[in-house]
Amino acid sequence: MNNYLSIKNLSFEYPDGFKALDNISLNLAEKGRLGILGPNGAGKTTLLLHLNGILGKLNGDISLAGTPFTDENIKNIRKSVGLVFQDPDDQLFMPTVLEDVMFGPRNFGFSFDEAKDLALTALEKVKMLDFINKAPHHLSFGQKRKVAIASVLASKPDLIVLDEPSSNLDPASRRELIEILKTLNITIILVTHDLPMALEVCENSLILNNGKIKIIDSTYNILTNEKIMKENRLELPFGFALHHLED
Amino acid sequence: METSHHHHLEIHNFSKLNAVKPQTKLLVIFLIILSIAFYKMETLNLFFIHVSSVIYLLIISKITFKTYIKRLSIDIPFVLFAFFLPFISKGSGKVAWEIMGLAVYETGLIEMRNLIIKITLCVTLAIILTATTSTVEIIYGMQKLKISPLLISIFSFAIRYIDVFIDELKRVKTSMKSRGYSEKGLKNLKPIAFASGAMLIRGYERGERVYNSMISRGFNGYLELHDREYISSNTIFLIGIFCLATTIFEQFVI
Repeated sequence: MNNYLSIKNLSFEYPDGFKALDNISLNLAEKGRLGILGPNGAGKTTLLLHLNGILGKLNGDISLAGTPFTDENIKNIRKSVGLVFQDPDDQLFMPTVLEDVMFGPRNFGFSFDEAKDLALTALEKVKMLDFINKAPHHLSFGQKRKVAIASVLASKPDLIVLDEPSSNLDPASRRELIEILKTLNITIILVTHDLPMALEVCENSLILNNGKIKIIDSTYNILTNEKIMKENRLELPFGFALHHLED
Repeated sequence: METSHHHHLEIHNFSKLNAVKPQTKLLVIFLIILSIAFYKMETLNLFFIHVSSVIYLLIISKITFKTYIKRLSIDIPFVLFAFFLPFISKGSGKVAWEIMGLAVYETGLIEMRNLIIKITLCVTLAIILTATTSTVEIIYGMQKLKISPLLISIFSFAIRYIDVFIDELKRVKTSMKSRGYSEKGLKNLKPIAFASGAMLIRGYERGERVYNSMISRGFNGYLELHDREYISSNTIFLIGIFCLATTIFEQFVI
């Protein structure tokens, strides 16, 4: 299914008149992985919030597996689309890790035992089973990020959307995160400034700038297109070379 | 962004009180505070029941004297206020004595004594509760006592974000100091006012982001906490009832 996630002519303007999204259209295949790249203030986070119906009435159309995003469907859509926020402190608020990870499944109608099983499976996936009784705000940043991902995975989403997941992570935590994402057999949208991570996790990417999609292509083609990279204020980290991937 | 742990009030000393059901502690402490607040202090010999109950709870909580005195300092503003009462509370108008031409009223003196005793006892109870009950347990206890889910949510968010706010405040202060800011002097209050404003806006924005993350996980207004294991204590429960009964007896019988 090539248009598992389908966005058509989506626009959005904030109350202060700032146009964050301007006629966005894109399709994403089931179990596909799409990177969303772009400079600060390009509209990336606004697009993510739309994928969860958080910004209210849509000016455009979005559908997931043929189900349109409407007020009637919003609960199912939120269960199907898991959103991992940029700052895990915004996401984790329950007294213990286990209660936080069970929060989503319980709200989406799973029984207590089912929710507990789902939470433990999700925590095992992110290697955080030893922390179930800890308070989330006493964890390190990397651990919080893993719990935030588990809290979304526990609801068994069909699509997981991550906002800058590698920001503020040390290299080892970033590596662990990439390995976790690579093992997930679901559709992934990754918003990031971490271009090597996008290259490793997502086969395709798009560049969003000033609320408009500038290009959708394979991540490799985008990263090697110097002109488009420069135009959109993107650059690879110093010393990072793509040539070894060309074979 | 890591949070520090040093400002938590709970003392992990594994006293008997630490293991008692938090709902029992909350209820009993509420009952004793209520009994103290409504005690008219006319029959002082019966008030020893309240005083000895609080002392008993303080002893079994195993709070060290140093910690107790340190935390009791929250009492100071109330005590300072109480010192004004002999000068302003006339009551029957009977003057006990005069200090530099100012009349010290007898009623005011009694009110001062009562206020200081009552406030100190209530603050002691709050110290006992917070030292033997973690914030999670307080929330759990509130839930068991069937307090409104909305109130519990507000309380739990307040606690949850105190850490985050303290850390943010520290970062703001560090960044101010690193640019040569000194806290001394009245004129230096202006940057503090701006920083506080920035903190308020940040707090509001964080609140919005937290709410967004909650509704994206299907939040329906209820925070579910899991069952935990505690011991029941009839003695502690009886202490609360006994204090309340004493106050009722003083109010309506004597």
